[in-house]
Amino acid sequence: MSALILTSVLGVLLLYLGLFGQKKLLVPVGVLGLLAAIGLFVMDRSINVPMFAHMVSFDRAGWLFSCGMLVVTVLIFLFGADYYARQEENVAEQYALMIFSLTGALLLTSYTNLLMLFLGIEILSIPLYIMAGGKRDSMRSSEASFKYFLLGSFASAFLLMGIALIYGVAASFDLGVVKEVALRQLVQPDILFTLGCFFVAIGLSFKVAAAPFHFWSPDVYEGSPTLITAFMSTVVKMAAFIGLYRFVGITQMPPTLGKALLVMTIFTLMIGNIVALRQSHFKRLMAYSSIAHSGFLLMAVLSQAPNTAQVLFYYTFTYSLATVGLFILMTLAKRAANGDEHIRIFRGLFRAKPWLGVVMLLLMLSLAGIPLTAGFVAKYQIFLLAIGADLIKTTVFAVLMALVGIYYYAVVIREAFTPSEEAPALVVSPVNLLLISVCGISVVLFGLLPGYLQ
Amino acid sequence: MEGMMTAIRVIPLEHYIVLSFILFSIGMAGALFRRNTIIILMCLELMFNSVNLLLAAFSAHHSDPGGQVFVFFIMLVAAAEVTVGLAILVMMKRNVDSVDINQLNRLKW
Repeated sequence: MSALILTSVLGVLLLYLGLFGQKKLLVPVGVLGLLAAIGLFVMDRSINVPMFAHMVSFDRAGWLFSCGMLVVTVLIFLFGADYYARQEENVAEQYALMIFSLTGALLLTSYTNLLMLFLGIEILSIPLYIMAGGKRDSMRSSEASFKYFLLGSFASAFLLMGIALIYGVAASFDLGVVKEVALRQLVQPDILFTLGCFFVAIGLSFKVAAAPFHFWSPDVYEGSPTLITAFMSTVVKMAAFIGLYRFVGITQMPPTLGKALLVMTIFTLMIGNIVALRQSHFKRLMAYSSIAHSGFLLMAVLSQAPNTAQVLFYYTFTYSLATVGLFILMTLAKRAANGDEHIRIFRGLFRAKPWLGVVMLLLMLSLAGIPLTAGFVAKYQIFLLAIGADLIKTTVFAVLMALVGIYYYAVVIREAFTPSEEAPALVVSPVNLLLISVCGISVVLFGLLPGYLQ
Repeated sequence: MEGMMTAIRVIPLEHYIVLSFILFSIGMAGALFRRNTIIILMCLELMFNSVNLLLAAFSAHHSDPGGQVFVFFIMLVAAAEVTVGLAILVMMKRNVDSVDINQLNRLKW
């Protein structure tokens, strides 16, 4: 609770630091503030205590997700120290917006009222629209920003319509009441309630980039500044998934909604993995890979077993670690290649910097789900959940798609290990080296000792 | 206020639901098919407002003030969203000198 207040104040504080031109202080203050917020979460442990007039309550899953998102944001902030080193203007705003967005994400982990679901999504999204347009004179960036804005608002309208319909049946926004109504719906279905659940699910699946509502994500990932892409594909994904998971849990999943989500899962797995095969632009590849991962996560959401939240957390957190590491590596390689974003920029990476090459291999293997990395344990747990929920055919399909996915990760690995005539002139700052190493090592460690994240 | 609530309740709830759905669909069709970005922004606003209408109607029929409070939040968020949207639009206009959505074609697979 105090952590929520702390993060909102931290954002304002960063804005003031920017106003007084203290660019050097931004990252230290931001990281200290975020660490303090993690500390407050760890100390607080007021689990399942309703706060803010029954609007918010952190359960065990919400607590885990909040801490995870704060940790990932710390990593991204540290990455920003180097990323924004050459930029003089509007740096404070970028950090502040990221913190504001994080506050919305924290609300999504813990809402107990549909109003908070809506506000959380909006507080998460509105700063993101601005951040996506962070490179003001780049056409691609403003295009990404505008596309994200249009589709984001469009999705919000669906979410709102859904909330209004649910309110029409339940006469309350409180999730406790909605849950009771949903239980009654299992006996006597009401078309308005089912429709409302559908609309909210559509609104949320825009945010998690599930097919057929995924088309914005490759464009937005490509156009946005890399730091923001890293934020979008990690923290935002975690927040959207815990939000969706909580909502689907509350509605008790009417059979029609369950079927629709199942179809969506299959489409997402297929489109993500198959379209990624023909991508040679690294950020778009990562976008399709992120869509594919959404498919696996949706399978977990569908299962609704008691330990689903832990599995979701383990999956999204290890995925975030790998993704942040890869985007840092990409930024370094992109600089050496004068702004190119094709995957050929990684050619000769292993020859030039053997350690970076090894870490890249580890991160890619984790995303692909090869044993001994965290990605494997995560996928394995999801398949177990899906089998437990009687989704045998979907599981077989997902395993096949995971095998297809290994190919496009292998293509990138091959680039990194192919020697090139001229080795890329990579300049690695100590902070970035530390971050990349932390990501690489933790992905293996969590793969060997998955118990530590649950 | 109470007079207003009874006035809203005179019309059956179904009429409000149908009207909101019609407005929502008009907004949705406009957002999907119009090419001028400013019109698209207006259509998005129409979608939000159809939800506002529905919430106000439900609120009056349930005699529960929660729905009307929600409407205030939607108005607030919609204002914030349009502010950001227009700012992005101005930024885009400076870069491509047009507000036609077909200009948004640089990012493609």
